[in-house]
Amino acid sequence: MPYSLTFKDHIANPRNAGDLPDANASGEETNPVCGDRMRLSLRVREGRIEAAGFLAYGCPPTLVCGSILTELIVGKTVEEALRLTRKDLLDAVGGLPSRKQHAAALAIETLKAALASGGGAPTFPT
Amino acid sequence: MAETRKVYLDHSATTPADPRVVEAMLPYLTEKFGNASSVHYFGQEARAAVDKARREVAALIGARANEIVFVSGGTEANNLAIRGICEAVVGDASRSNKGHVITSSIEHSSVRGICEALEKAGKGAWEITRLPAYEEGIVRVEDVRDALRPDTVLISVMLANNEIGTIQPLEEIGALVREERIRGRRHLWLHTDAVQAAGRIPVNVETLGCDLLSLSAHKLYAPKGTGALFVRRGVRLTPQNVGGHQEREKRAGTEGVTGIVAFGTAAKLAREEMAQRSQHDQRLRDRFEAGLSKRVEDIVFNGDRARRLPHLSNISFRFIEGEGLLISLDLQGVAVSTGSACSSGTLEPSPVIRALGRNDELSRGAIRFSFGKDNTDEDLDYVLEVLPRVVEKLRALSPLNKVSSFEFQVSS
Repeated sequence: MPYSLTFKDHIANPRNAGDLPDANASGEETNPVCGDRMRLSLRVREGRIEAAGFLAYGCPPTLVCGSILTELIVGKTVEEALRLTRKDLLDAVGGLPSRKQHAAALAIETLKAALASGGGAPTFPT
Repeated sequence: MAETRKVYLDHSATTPADPRVVEAMLPYLTEKFGNASSVHYFGQEARAAVDKARREVAALIGARANEIVFVSGGTEANNLAIRGICEAVVGDASRSNKGHVITSSIEHSSVRGICEALEKAGKGAWEITRLPAYEEGIVRVEDVRDALRPDTVLISVMLANNEIGTIQPLEEIGALVREERIRGRRHLWLHTDAVQAAGRIPVNVETLGCDLLSLSAHKLYAPKGTGALFVRRGVRLTPQNVGGHQEREKRAGTEGVTGIVAFGTAAKLAREEMAQRSQHDQRLRDRFEAGLSKRVEDIVFNGDRARRLPHLSNISFRFIEGEGLLISLDLQGVAVSTGSACSSGTLEPSPVIRALGRNDELSRGAIRFSFGKDNTDEDLDYVLEVLPRVVEKLRALSPLNKVSSFEFQVSS
């Protein structure tokens, strides 16, 4: 499948790659079918996501969804982030063929897990 | 900004047509355009060119010209060989209508697909045994011997693997088939897919003892769309294309004269230049592997490193997935291929790498580098500079090589 320039750019220059050293919320999910894995760490202050870091293993759509997800959520309140759907992420990526859409699902699940890890949104330990 | 250097390291996927090949084929598009089946001058001119090409292709594999059937490529050659034999045998009244085929677990997808189709067709009329290839990626002749049954009609084992380049013990399998015939066995044929091997290592149908052998033109610096099947004299197979008398009734359809002429010329050049090309490719490949081993940790070479094609290297990069690496390299102008599930459009990673006993991570991180006659040392220098950087960048993104620090954070 031909990948878009935006897509390739995220592969070559992933945004917010790595574990955040001062994260206060984090989550990790695995797609049991293909083994793709994503890890998300967040720094949440006063109900707002100040910073995000991601790690991902898997096919390019998974890496790109992780990278774009961090761009989407930084600056958002926890409530806003919780409302993000798979479709929002797919739109931001510029669409994915149906057999690759699981990448967006994995990213959203990882986000939910990370947000839940803070002891239940929207209150986070600081 | 300077144009990114382009380095093509995917010669096992296809090769560029050699300018000498293009030059030889071009007249057959224009002034020498005749249909090789026509009786007039134009037809006979085309016929003569096809016959000449047939002799060249035959010479590349030590066959007789009339044992070469031109087809559209390797996949068609494999279809004609396997289905052609199996259907011919089914029609033989002296046999029961059940049959058995022995193949390997590392065949090209075309052979795998044909065997799966045979299995599904005709209510279990065909049973397939897939031999293991072990960690070294090479089947064992004793396994072939053990798999033989009274109703085995075909053994189809590739000469060299397309993903890892390992060379299979065809000569020994050929000797086994010969032995079986001496003992009085009829209805047992040996097919080999030599698409990757031809032009890269010496191939001789007498030494191999095979009855059928598949070839593809575009792996030997000729254009895509032409292949050939060697069919040993006296071997009967059912044509898969019917409705014409071409190719001695084995493959109906107007001969693709241009492609056939190109194939013939490429076969001649491959025969003349094989030693020099192989030496060139192998020197680059070995330099590449030595250089990469020094620069990148956690890599695993796939397949036996001695018994393999000289131009090919298959390496698993731990912690990362193949297609991400492929795209990152492509952005730097370096073209390679991967058997990762994403690239092949399936959920399962390369069955070939899996057959070597590699786990999911190593199977998904396998990359094939295949060198060709036009690659240079400067190309290699560039790849050795770019590849370690790209691998490092992707590994920085991977959660697999990092200890999770989350558990205690979450519970605190």
